Amino acid sequence: MEQVVYRIRRFDGEKEFWQEYSFAHEPNKTVLWGLLKIKETADPSLAFVAACRSAVCGACAVRVNGEAVLACETPLDALLGRFGATLVLEPLGNFPVIRDLVVDWEPKAVRLAEAKPWLMPRDEFSAEAGCRQTQAEFKKINAQTNCILCGSCASECNKLSTGDDDFYEPFVYTKAGKFVADSRDGAAAEHLRPVLARGLWKCVHCQECVTKCPKRVAPAEDIAALRRESIRQGLTDNPGARHALAFAGDITNSGRLNETTMAVKTDGLLKSATRLPFALRLLRRGKLNPFHFPAPVEGIDGVRAIVKAAKEAKE
Amino acid sequence: MRYAFFPGCVLDGAAAEAREATVRVARALDIELVELPGWTCCGASHAQDVDELAAVAVNARNLALAEKLGLPLLTACSTCTLMLRKAKAALDGGLKDKVNGLLASAGMAYAGTSDVTHLLWALVRDYGLERLKAKVTRPLTGLKVAGYYGCHLLRPPQVMDFEDHARPRSLAALIAALGAEPVEMASARKCCGFHAVFPAERDVFKMTGTINADAVAAGADCIVTPCPLCQMQLDMRQPEGREAIGTAGDMPILHLAQLVGLALGMTGSEMGLGRHVTAAFHVAAKAGGR
Ligand code: SF4
Ligand code: SF4
Ligand code: FES
Repeated sequence: MEQVVYRIRRFDGEKEFWQEYSFAHEPNKTVLWGLLKIKETADPSLAFVAACRSAVCGACAVRVNGEAVLACETPLDALLGRFGATLVLEPLGNFPVIRDLVVDWEPKAVRLAEAKPWLMPRDEFSAEAGCRQTQAEFKKINAQTNCILCGSCASECNKLSTGDDDFYEPFVYTKAGKFVADSRDGAAAEHLRPVLARGLWKCVHCQECVTKCPKRVAPAEDIAALRRESIRQGLTDNPGARHALAFAGDITNSGRLNETTMAVKTDGLLKSATRLPFALRLLRRGKLNPFHFPAPVEGIDGVRAIVKAAKEAKE
Repeated sequence: MRYAFFPGCVLDGAAAEAREATVRVARALDIELVELPGWTCCGASHAQDVDELAAVAVNARNLALAEKLGLPLLTACSTCTLMLRKAKAALDGGLKDKVNGLLASAGMAYAGTSDVTHLLWALVRDYGLERLKAKVTRPLTGLKVAGYYGCHLLRPPQVMDFEDHARPRSLAALIAALGAEPVEMASARKCCGFHAVFPAERDVFKMTGTINADAVAAGADCIVTPCPLCQMQLDMRQPEGREAIGTAGDMPILHLAQLVGLALGMTGSEMGLGRHVTAAFHVAAKAGGR
């Protein structure tokens, strides 16, 4: 391959247009190297952001062929091998665009602040005694500490793409989860309440955030941890929590999912009744058997013993 | 080839036709499926929201059952595959001793000797597409099939490391091996929304509608998916999906095994196409296998 082509989605503040730039291939370079080359040799008007060039500041995240990456750490050759000589570059998805590849973090910062991503120290800490934690306690929040707020996890989040009025960017759940789990923080509810009110149970489990994060943070796992904490605190009056509890309950009851009772357990009788046309649709095709109650699996006593032992191991 | 077969709750219930098709196809290909005795629900990507350790331990038990048979574990569901592989990764990554302490209460132990695979991977990698091609008795000539991967068979790649998650090719290769024409749809790797249908109905119906509309726009005769949950969502919720995004156009959604079965000469009835909400028999008719 002699030439590389960047096909870039541009925006001048008013209109959007596509522009192609071609430059000579050099081995062992990064996506950012290509952008800088264009800016320095072909088009100084091309706007993008990069600061540290060391995968630390999070500023350079862009979308290449539909996938968010950190431009400064992503090997160009790997992408060329995957997609061929032409790469399509766009600004991060699910962000407002300011210009070309530059996105607006301001509204995201406002949303992030709602989860109060700062330490609210426990009462026993003081200026003299400090705010210490053990290594084991730090280990619990180590992964989340690595978040550099690059926004990659939000770019292809399937839930966020269908509506952000009732859902946060994945990193917001990660930040909230970090402080809920932080042994030094004394106000778990302050972090938990806003995320529970806005979308904690609406994540669709698509795993895009886990896949995209360049720092191996796993927002979907943090969402699961926040859900566990909300259940632990008895905040179960919502369809998401009831659904999860129904699954866990079915596993200990019979080992298998009970499709017949799942809707009622999740939605309650009234809401389930509104789903009657859907249920009839399934009945007509023989997909729903209201009389099917799975018999306990062979070895169910063992399953119950394992679940009980797991519960006790944490107490 | 022998596998410990993990049907999962969905093949046991609402998607019974997928189980029937999988079993028939395996038999026709001389693949022996030994149903895992005493298998339990994989947790369906929900159990960890209640108790993470219990979710891993219950799947460690499933894995230990496969080890007892001395066989790799095979599922026909993307979510089951992800849950089992995730548990395996956690166990092999350091949780093994702790979880074996829990399994001991049921007189069991996890060693880490059985792999977890999916029907699609087994056909492409273990069986081989050339060998499969040789078994095709009724090539699906002229049938345009959009391969829809969905989420859990691709992501996260650290756990699901079969192929490039950003550019998977296995479905297109399989469709071509069956004599059909693979067509690309824009949302092949997007989420169908199945797992959040209760708490996020509005969003989920939009996702479902968009995926089906993308396949219509691509000129596909049908979608084929390796995941029975995606199949159910795209098929059973198709009317709500259409309504959510204001589109028209039926799109039959086939389980992976059903498409293979048709190419192996089985009929639409044998493959359980009558159990689909969106009529799929014309797919069989087009393939000459009414
Ligand atoms: S798993 Fe949830 S939070 Fe993560 S990208 Fe998907 S919908 Fe968004
Ligand atoms: S969680 Fe990962 S992808 Fe998301 S903002 Fe933080 S570092 Fe970036
Ligand atoms: S420039 Fe700082 S992360 Fe890429």
